[in-house]
Amino acid sequence: MLASLFLIGALFTAPQMSVQAASQATVEDSADGRARAFNRMLGGIISYARWPGERKNTARTMCVVGTPQMTNRIAPAGPIVTVHRMTALGVTDDGGCDIIFLGRMPIADRQRLIGWVRSRPVLTVTDDDAACTHGAMFCLDGRRTSLSFSVNLDSIGRGPLRIDPRVLKIGGGE
Amino acid sequence: MTERPVEPPAPERMPERMGARTTLQKLLSRFHFGITLFAVALSGLTILLAGVTALLGSADRNLELAAQLGAYGAEPALVFNDPHAAREGIAPLTRIPGIARLRVLDDRGKPLTEWASPTKDPIPLLTGIFFPKPASVPVRRNGSVIGTIEVWGDSSTLTDYVRIGLLAGLVCLLITALGTIFLARRFEYELVKPLNEIATVAHDVRLHRRFDKRVTPLGIAELDRLGGDINALLDELQGWQGTMESENAILAHRASHDTLTAMPNRAAFDEQLALRIQSAQSRNERFALLFIDADNFKAANDNFGHAAGDSVLVALSERIKETLRKGDFAARIGGDEFVVIIDPLGEDAGTDSLANRVRTGVALPIALPGGDSYSVSISVGVAVYPDDGADATALLTAADAAMYANKLANRS
Repeated sequence: MLASLFLIGALFTAPQMSVQAASQATVEDSADGRARAFNRMLGGIISYARWPGERKNTARTMCVVGTPQMTNRIAPAGPIVTVHRMTALGVTDDGGCDIIFLGRMPIADRQRLIGWVRSRPVLTVTDDDAACTHGAMFCLDGRRTSLSFSVNLDSIGRGPLRIDPRVLKIGGGE
Repeated sequence: MTERPVEPPAPERMPERMGARTTLQKLLSRFHFGITLFAVALSGLTILLAGVTALLGSADRNLELAAQLGAYGAEPALVFNDPHAAREGIAPLTRIPGIARLRVLDDRGKPLTEWASPTKDPIPLLTGIFFPKPASVPVRRNGSVIGTIEVWGDSSTLTDYVRIGLLAGLVCLLITALGTIFLARRFEYELVKPLNEIATVAHDVRLHRRFDKRVTPLGIAELDRLGGDINALLDELQGWQGTMESENAILAHRASHDTLTAMPNRAAFDEQLALRIQSAQSRNERFALLFIDADNFKAANDNFGHAAGDSVLVALSERIKETLRKGDFAARIGGDEFVVIIDPLGEDAGTDSLANRVRTGVALPIALPGGDSYSVSISVGVAVYPDDGADATALLTAADAAMYANKLANRS
């Protein structure tokens, strides 16, 4: 009886602990403004991630898979990032991606990619998962008037990447 | 000549001077209090100024550090342009005392978030003077400035310090007062007491003529010098007094003694006789008065000269003295007239035996300065108190008469 109660409690609390939507950046209300805010947030997230054995200002490769929902002009502001559009299969075969941006894609592809990323030094960002429960580390949410991001602590915890705790705090919300 | 009034001002000035008098202790106490108060005020002011300066320095550093902390905390918020996150980033700063206002500005100088302390600034004037500008720290990200943190201080830390400083000053003042009392007491012991000792000696000397009193060493150089001078003065005074006393004694001796024979003179004899009568009367005793006169002394004077006469008188006086017992008294009352008081008079001694005792005592020839010798013979008259007279005159008259009778008997 007690054990089952505990299990039910665990079921309710676990997702809440690992996934939270929080950050809300102010956004200029235009398509151009939205794209700029999006790229700024993306750049910010990348700049607070640390790859193992990284030297300063190393250029990063970002692989965009699927269809981005917020903007087509993905160009993270700040850090040096080269952007490639790839398929899920291409990513797992090539293996040269430091960052995988997951746009809208079939569930099987997404699951394969998330599974493949696990325990690899790869940052995953998505803009198609407002609740941030599908396994990407950072989830951008632009459905409201403001742009925000949330953090999936479970995914971050599994990988060897190190994220600045200040960002986790912002993404973690209250 | 002088027309100005000399007398009137004196009585007026007297009470004024009495009123202005104060004890040395009070004077020292006041002096001490003044000095200590001055020292405490001066050091207190110095400490307060130094403290305020140091405090301002540390407050500035505190604000700077707070701003640095805020810059670290608010950095991602500025990156993501997130006011909520910025507010969270500077939240730790709001718990630091002495911060009045916080502001996070983005790279264009637009405020991302602001915070103002809910507690009121105690003294806005002080804040205006000491914290006119905020501590401003730029937030950098990859070498470029992405925003600024501004931190305003307030006067609360300063007022706390000043409050504590004033309290400490008050405590110091209390300690000062106690210390002053203690020091004054000690000074009284160290300084006033020796002074009192000197005053006591001076008083004793003036009032009781105790010229043998001296000031003991007091252990303070200046006072010892004063004491030494007083002692030297007393030495001189004592010397003068001793000389005066011995001169007085010489004068007194001269007044009561014959210069030639050094025997008591007529005046001394009269005094002595009166005393003996008084004493004998009160004790109901008897004493004898012998009147002695040298026979033919004038002939000796004429034949051998005055010097010889003098030596005869001296020799005679010596011999009369030799016959005296303890308590007897002899005096020369005229040129060749001597008197002897035999006191007390023994029960067995008759008047004749007394006279004979003196007569045999002087019987031997006297050697004169020129080599001659002279045999002196004397006439002796005896009168007994109270048988022959109850007062000095009667007694002397009776003795004189008896001597004349004896002289006449000798001639015949």
